[in-house]
Amino acid sequence: MRIIEIDNVSFHYKAGTPVLENVNLNVDKGEWITILGHNGSGKSTLSKLLVGLLRAKQGTIRVANVELSETTVYDIRKKIGIVFQNPDNQFVGVTVRDDIAFGLENLQVPRGEMIERIEQYAQKVDMADFLNKEPHNLSGGQKQRVAIAGILAMETDIIIFDEATSMLDPKGRNTILSMMKQLNDEGVTVINITHDMKESLYGDRIVVLKEGRILKDDTTKVVLADHKTLEKSSLEMLLPLRVLRALEAKKVDNEKVRSYLWQLSLTG
Amino acid sequence: MAIKFNRVDFKYKGDDKKGYLALSNISLSIQGEGEFITLIGETGSGKTTLVQHMNALLVANSGSVDIYGIKVEKQAVKKKKIRLNPIRKKVGLVFQFPEYQLFEETVLKDITFGPKNFGVPEAEAIETAQRVIRIVGLDESYLDRSPFNLSGGEKKRVSIAGILAMEPDILILDEPTSGLDPMGRNALLKVFYDIHEKLNKTVIIITHDMNTVYEYAKRVLVMRDSYLVYDGDPVDLFTTKNIENWNLDVPDILNLMHRMEQDLGITLTSRPRSAAALTNALEEVLR
Repeated sequence: MRIIEIDNVSFHYKAGTPVLENVNLNVDKGEWITILGHNGSGKSTLSKLLVGLLRAKQGTIRVANVELSETTVYDIRKKIGIVFQNPDNQFVGVTVRDDIAFGLENLQVPRGEMIERIEQYAQKVDMADFLNKEPHNLSGGQKQRVAIAGILAMETDIIIFDEATSMLDPKGRNTILSMMKQLNDEGVTVINITHDMKESLYGDRIVVLKEGRILKDDTTKVVLADHKTLEKSSLEMLLPLRVLRALEAKKVDNEKVRSYLWQLSLTG
Repeated sequence: MAIKFNRVDFKYKGDDKKGYLALSNISLSIQGEGEFITLIGETGSGKTTLVQHMNALLVANSGSVDIYGIKVEKQAVKKKKIRLNPIRKKVGLVFQFPEYQLFEETVLKDITFGPKNFGVPEAEAIETAQRVIRIVGLDESYLDRSPFNLSGGEKKRVSIAGILAMEPDILILDEPTSGLDPMGRNALLKVFYDIHEKLNKTVIIITHDMNTVYEYAKRVLVMRDSYLVYDGDPVDLFTTKNIENWNLDVPDILNLMHRMEQDLGITLTSRPRSAAALTNALEEVLR
């Protein structure tokens, strides 16, 4: 079932310098798609259009069969949430509890239910012991988990992770990735915008953006091996595949090593 | 020794009376040329606090930091007995989001701002700008452009050029490649390596990327809960220490080597630290 339909969408901040051009993209419910692209390729703009932080200059966006417009944007935000890159820039509450409550207050969820949901989702992201703490004393990974709880509490079906792990240390990154995996297993649609090629192995499908256009939209397997597309987009192949290609260039042919490296480059 | 930490403690004042201990009993020495150091450790372990002591942006609560023969101590700084300008000229620090600190109308003005502040004549400052813009991999046409219309990677390069224009001996960069696409990151790392290699400067990089550490560093410092828990060779770190205790990851190259050894029984005779070196080492064994 289609949950997001992006039809011929274009966007610019300044006329004459397009940031996104004629983007067509469909996402199915429960999918995990990875959006890759160079700095300035339009990835973050696309995510802001999806949650209605920006309005497309052309084309339509439908989320769960509702067309995004000024009148529907608040309903659509109940279905789609976004976790940003910098964990420090997305806190509004004095405590973790206030912060998770913020979105629910906007939705005018009754108080009793609000308290329940906060407890429930704080537990889910393993931050229940921190509800009365101040967000700025948390580590980066913990902050991102609170941000995720805030979105989950609104019971959204789709979460966009906009380079959500790029500022985290290895431990924080791994916690967030396993949380994303768990949510996706439970049916949440994940859109992961990243520069980390290894992260794309979690998803079934990769969309590569280049200078505001979709350069490639295919399975993870196909895109990760597509050296030309990756290079054109300032990306790189995963290490096993890079080594495999380099060995091939040197005409070192060992079937066992070749199939092993090939396998590794698709499973991580 | 250009910089010498002698049993340094540092505490941030917190909301409560206790405060927050960011550095505990740190002793270390850094040379003024020829070092390529990466500084790693989990968020909140004290990495940024440590480097801010290296150019006297922060001053130890106890212990002292010697920077080019100037003993930076709390009392002396308080009484303004220390001139900080010479220190700032020798040790250049690029903050985590340097692009937020660009403020002039043109790249040229941004790069010459620092030198002119230190009394360098205009003509000389412009010459320096023309030189350093090339070092960071941009051409001279950038000098006339507005810094605000540049991409993230270009802004980072311009801010690094601004620090290089002060001609520091030691260049410190706080997470310079976070948020960059793979090629942008690789290109910038090459810039740092060239600065180190060709200009023989000491470069210190804070990073969360273990691949950067393994492929580039000659020396690695690991912070953990305000303590310096490791100061030494990167290969030793990842092959002999229990890095999981410090919440570090295994670099991709080492991981791949281990797995090939385990699954295919391929043992390499050398310890390659780049994809190219790994390919060569494999070629040797497989032929």
